[in-house]
Amino acid sequence: MGQRITVDPVTRIEGHLKIEVEIENGVVKDAWSSGTMARGFEALLTGKDPRDASYVTSRFCGVCFSVHTMASVACLDDAFGAQVPDGGRILRNLLMGSEYLYDHIIHFYHLTALDYLDIMAVASYNGNDPALKAVKDKIVSLVKRGDTSPLTPRYEPDAFSVADPEIVTMAVSHYLEALKVQVTAKNMGAVIGGGRVPHYQGIVVGGVTQIPSPEQIGRFKSMLAEVTSFIKNVYMKDVLLLAGPGGPLFPLAQLGVGGGHLNYLSYGAFPEGDGSTFFKPGVVRNLDLNNIEEFDPAKVTESVKYAWYKEKEPVHPYDGEQKFDRDKAGAYSFVKAPRYDGMAFEVGPLARMVVEKNPTLLSLIKAGAKPGAVARHAARMIETVALADQMQVWLGQLIEAQGKPGFKIHDSEHWDVPDTAEGAGFYEAPRGALGHWIKIKNKKIANYQAVVPSTWNASPRDEKGVRGQYEESLIGAPVPDPENPINIVRVIRSFDPCLACAVHVIDPKTNQIRKFRIG
Amino acid sequence: MTSFRNINRRDFLKFCAGTASILGLSEAAVPRIAKALEGAAKKPPVIWLEGQDCAGCSISFINSSNPGTAELVLDTISLRYHETLMAASGHVAEKALEDTIEEGGYVLIVEGSIPTIDPRFCQIGGKNFVDIVNEASAKAAAVIAIGACATYGGIPGDCPTPGTGIGVGEAMDKGLVAKNALINVPTCPVHPERLIGTIVYYLLYGKPPAMDKVGRPVVFYDKLIHDNCERRGHFENGEFLTDWNIFEQRNWCMYLKGCKGPFTYSDCPKRRWSDGLNWCIGCSSVCQGCAEPDFYAGMSPLYERTKEIRGIKVEKIGAYATGAVAVGLAGHFIGQAMTGRLGKGGPPEEGGDN
Repeated sequence: MGQRITVDPVTRIEGHLKIEVEIENGVVKDAWSSGTMARGFEALLTGKDPRDASYVTSRFCGVCFSVHTMASVACLDDAFGAQVPDGGRILRNLLMGSEYLYDHIIHFYHLTALDYLDIMAVASYNGNDPALKAVKDKIVSLVKRGDTSPLTPRYEPDAFSVADPEIVTMAVSHYLEALKVQVTAKNMGAVIGGGRVPHYQGIVVGGVTQIPSPEQIGRFKSMLAEVTSFIKNVYMKDVLLLAGPGGPLFPLAQLGVGGGHLNYLSYGAFPEGDGSTFFKPGVVRNLDLNNIEEFDPAKVTESVKYAWYKEKEPVHPYDGEQKFDRDKAGAYSFVKAPRYDGMAFEVGPLARMVVEKNPTLLSLIKAGAKPGAVARHAARMIETVALADQMQVWLGQLIEAQGKPGFKIHDSEHWDVPDTAEGAGFYEAPRGALGHWIKIKNKKIANYQAVVPSTWNASPRDEKGVRGQYEESLIGAPVPDPENPINIVRVIRSFDPCLACAVHVIDPKTNQIRKFRIG
Repeated sequence: MTSFRNINRRDFLKFCAGTASILGLSEAAVPRIAKALEGAAKKPPVIWLEGQDCAGCSISFINSSNPGTAELVLDTISLRYHETLMAASGHVAEKALEDTIEEGGYVLIVEGSIPTIDPRFCQIGGKNFVDIVNEASAKAAAVIAIGACATYGGIPGDCPTPGTGIGVGEAMDKGLVAKNALINVPTCPVHPERLIGTIVYYLLYGKPPAMDKVGRPVVFYDKLIHDNCERRGHFENGEFLTDWNIFEQRNWCMYLKGCKGPFTYSDCPKRRWSDGLNWCIGCSSVCQGCAEPDFYAGMSPLYERTKEIRGIKVEKIGAYATGAVAVGLAGHFIGQAMTGRLGKGGPPEEGGDN
């Protein structure tokens, strides 16, 4: 028997997560991932006006709020028969894109960077850059005042931590700069039609609510330029410097710490005018890039064997009731275990970039990086850069469309609730594949379901005992000091966990899904 | 470096000025705020607990440019525990919490509701959330509940499951959480300026600001949204948005689409959101009443016209109600509503094509 250690809470994530691992000879031998909070949104939504769903489900998560609204309106559009006009589609893309830019920046700098930096190395900075000297003064003044919260306490830096004063000081200065840039990125969404952040107000079934004024478009354009400049001149360079070949984190990448099952799933996101999507859908098993399969929603199943829900026969739970059972023997999480074709999959930026065989990611892999925690950070940066560029394109399309007569942002013919209907909506959250499903009876919600990214990634074991992706990705991670399990949080945070939304979900009766709709 | 100190000082004074403006204080108060915040022998400790939350209030908290969040977090307060922001995890994080509670005298901020039917529906570090809040409240100088969930239960408060959540005030009333001075700063999510303003007010005066009967600071929540809405003139003119595509209607009243502004007290029309760039009604969506204890279930259906909540009737609000014009037009409204034109005198008596 190895030594069992628990990290609870895992912080700098969204939600409440507990990780337990068994360590033998300094490496993780087994792992258990537990979501430790539940609210029960499905029961709340039953009986409500279906149009409420896109507002309520935004509150699944306050970090990736708009993607829940997006998946929700996609399933409502499907159920209502709404055809979102081009203006609405483009504005939804810009709203969703703004969330991605803020979310990925905040993840790298504010949620995860502290895992890789020995922040106290700043005190040893001896260079002459005035901006970096200012950062040193700031940190030193905090130390002198005897209070460095919330930067300390912390897990102690280890052999993989970056301790070069120049690099660390630069990274900390970017941490502070990013704190300002993420506000601008978020507020882009408020300007272009979200109304405010977090929790956009302006996305509804059928389209969006705000026709942007020329002033708002101008404002958005300049904010996008500012954020894009940060992404390309700071974020991209930081990730390449740290995680690229020769970078201080490249050894972690070469070890492939945090790899897991190597199965990748993407639903695709950001619909284009020609029916394609900017992020591509697809399925890759065991990193076999020669065989990229089409995603088939009928192959999604779930298990509640190790989750705190009443035991069910392996039928699609869409027909049954969702009942919590907090006393179930053997269960250890509020998160259920979704599986695709019976297998555990990873979703998120790495999955998206693998599925579309992104050349930059492939070149990193060719250079010796293995899929894992560090590759996940690289993939996240790669898609942020691509998306920032594409948002310029969409903005151009918006300006052109808005100049033409007949410009529409909403399908007003389908605002009224149908008597009986059902619908499905799929999207890619910053954290990965997201699906919402609705059944409407007597103009009210009869059933509402969601399968969210962190349910895929954070799931417990299934009927066959197969670990979820968090659990599997921890196997083999070096933990030489059980008192200081820094590699565990590195691996888990690389997924950008988002637990609040992961714990309330069950799966669709997939054989009833006739249409497949993205955004 | 001198230059940095200057910049730092400038940021700090900007922070103080921004806070003064939030609290409705004049510029003359800025030096006093600066002195009070700088003069403290040590930064006042703050514990931020998250229960049944979505972290939206945390994300909103870091969405303020003036006053800026970085100045608050690094220079003004000592943020000892905040799951979403702190460096520490696991036992290191839990020890920081225990040590701060032991020390006492901190400001406790609570985000998210508290499950009580089965308290195991929110556990952190192996402990039930309700027990953590109880322990932390007992030794806090004051408690600030933020967002719809921690104040009045919010959306989790309406979830009919064993996980149903309640707000901090209700938990105190039920004897589940130690009683303490409680300030409620609702909306979903909390407005960063209202939160920072409340914190700084407490640090300045050592007591909660004047509050209304549901525990909200009067300075932020004493005005009806409908009375101060930039679209009020259109309401008075009977101009209601009925189709989001019609350019002419883009700034018209949102009442027929379900706006809860007539039933909601908050300074949103003036303060707006996201650094003042926009707000819920500004983007031609509707107010969903998230500042009120009735939110969410009491405000649903969100996108249906609502005539009355808590005895507040739309018919009785506004100057038009005294005239006979509204009644006179009632029979004609359906045809007119197709184009959004309802004539002068506010909304029709009943129905609508919303």
